[in-house]
Amino acid sequence: MRQLIAFTKKEFLEQCRTGKLLLFVIIFALFGIMNPAIAKLTPWMMDMMSEQFAESGMQIMAVEVDALTSWAQFYKNMPMALIILLILFCGIFTTEYHKGTLINVVTKGMKRWKIFIAKLGVMVIVWTLGFLMSYGITYAYNAYFWDNSVAHNIAAAAGCFYLLGLWLISVLGMASVFCNSAGSVMLVVGAAFAVSYLLSLFPAVKEYMPSYLLQSTGLLAGLSEGADFLWAAAVTAMLIVSGCMISVTMFNKKNL
Amino acid sequence: MNMTMEITEILPFLIPLVIVEFALLGYTLWHILTHENYKYGNRTVWIVVVIIGMNFVGPILYFILGKEEE
Amino acid sequence: MDILEISHVSKSFGSNKVIDDLSFSVPEHSVFGFIGKNGAGKTTTMKMVLGLLKADEGEIFVNGEKVSFGQNHTNRFIGYLPDVPEFYGFMTPMEYLMMCGEITGMPGKQVKEKSAELLQLVGLAEAKKRIRGFSRGMKQRMGIAQALLNSPRLLICDEPTSALDPIGRKEILDILHSVKKHTTVIFSTHILSDVERICDRIAFLHEGSSVRSRTLEEIRGIRRGDGIVVEFLKQEEASHFLELYGDGAQGEGTMVTVYDRAGNAMDRIMEVLLYNHISVQRIERLEPTLEDLFLEVAAK
Repeated sequence: MRQLIAFTKKEFLEQCRTGKLLLFVIIFALFGIMNPAIAKLTPWMMDMMSEQFAESGMQIMAVEVDALTSWAQFYKNMPMALIILLILFCGIFTTEYHKGTLINVVTKGMKRWKIFIAKLGVMVIVWTLGFLMSYGITYAYNAYFWDNSVAHNIAAAAGCFYLLGLWLISVLGMASVFCNSAGSVMLVVGAAFAVSYLLSLFPAVKEYMPSYLLQSTGLLAGLSEGADFLWAAAVTAMLIVSGCMISVTMFNKKNL
Repeated sequence: MNMTMEITEILPFLIPLVIVEFALLGYTLWHILTHENYKYGNRTVWIVVVIIGMNFVGPILYFILGKEEE
Repeated sequence: MDILEISHVSKSFGSNKVIDDLSFSVPEHSVFGFIGKNGAGKTTTMKMVLGLLKADEGEIFVNGEKVSFGQNHTNRFIGYLPDVPEFYGFMTPMEYLMMCGEITGMPGKQVKEKSAELLQLVGLAEAKKRIRGFSRGMKQRMGIAQALLNSPRLLICDEPTSALDPIGRKEILDILHSVKKHTTVIFSTHILSDVERICDRIAFLHEGSSVRSRTLEEIRGIRRGDGIVVEFLKQEEASHFLELYGDGAQGEGTMVTVYDRAGNAMDRIMEVLLYNHISVQRIERLEPTLEDLFLEVAAK
């Protein structure tokens, strides 16, 4: 346990001292504020544009903005935040392979699975806190300007997207065990999502794909129910657990 | 619609947004000026990029492409 | 008792056989020089001992326990200094050692004392800045401190001196020498003079297989048959010396090479120089190349 704590402490120290932690805080705060801001500005922008459109003979109806608009923005913007997080973390293992810093740690008797778990843990914690922060900020603004009660299943929808993030982080971890450069790690993560996305084009397997979790925005408008996503969530959870088990086993045999 | 009313209404966003953006800008500039080596590019390029892409695109680009791994 | 025993180990990378049926052992409380040219397989051998690489054939024992690839339990006896030690640049030396101590499972108070003591030993006690700004030599010293933290029975150093200037080299060798009392030291090098300075046993690695290990005296004996170079200030002096010395000397410009067949050439050179009042730029024993030395060791 002491080994795990010591290494996790090192990971956090790294995130703090290299300034990544601050960057994450700022990014997630920004993504939290942006959603209601865009929603709030929509009618105003529409107003501006409708004058132009009116000249070309188009008519734009006045748009009604509420908490749903803001939540829709949330799900449009959060994938961007997740991508930034993945890019900033794609070198978390590979830079250590390149520099050989893990060799010192391993020859000190560090259990390899603890290295993997510590690194994964740091990514998960940053994602969890970051996501909660964006979510909380958007929620608070929505409550202040409008009324969150028009949106259904807010928490369930958020949970789905959060789970998707966890899955991609676990893929990043697994890719880092097999690949030696940050670029290829990123490529594998992208490929994993692309495969899931392409497979979900087939109606038969659609509901079992992790990328189906992105459809959870339908929950908000009441178009779908939480139960519709149970299968996708279960498959994703299974992929995460099995991915981690494979990673730990392979990491034990990796040439550092 | 009345413009002035709009501005007072968006102030709750504007204030934190401006604070966060300037914090990010300041921090990034400080980071650039206290480091001599970058993954790609040089100091001038990054200062220009960060100031032009002020609304957080510039700084994020810097941290992804410019900052050296330690 | 032998702290390290390597028996019939082979290792290939693809079709390239790097280590071929290598066997040797290292007795406790010695400084063991592991000599070979670049690419002879020194680093590969060390990494196999540490369980960082898998041996294709053969077995390795550290302190009587078998080494296993991957999660290697014998590493608790070993301290390792890689050829280019790299640390987390965002930490200070003290923080890094504290982390290592916690990983090896030393009690908290002991970690602190030991870290301070080691930083003193390697001369980094005053270095409060982060490791990122360290020079190559400082990192090398940091590496030794880190390797000695868990009071290892066996300290393995991979080319600890090769990238350093003469002063840095001497400092590292002095540190290695000073830990000899508690620890067996193995270090690889391609620099013969380093070995002569501190080692008491030596193994040659040539094309992946070792020639029997030798004591330093045996190696010194072999080296006596080499030449001596004398460099003069002027060419006239060189040719004058050549005439006076006679047999066994060859001249070229201001340089004269004397082949030391009988083993008394140094005395004779001095004698000639002294009696004829000739001053010289330098006198130097020719370093035998590793190739020469290996051939001689192998022949005996």
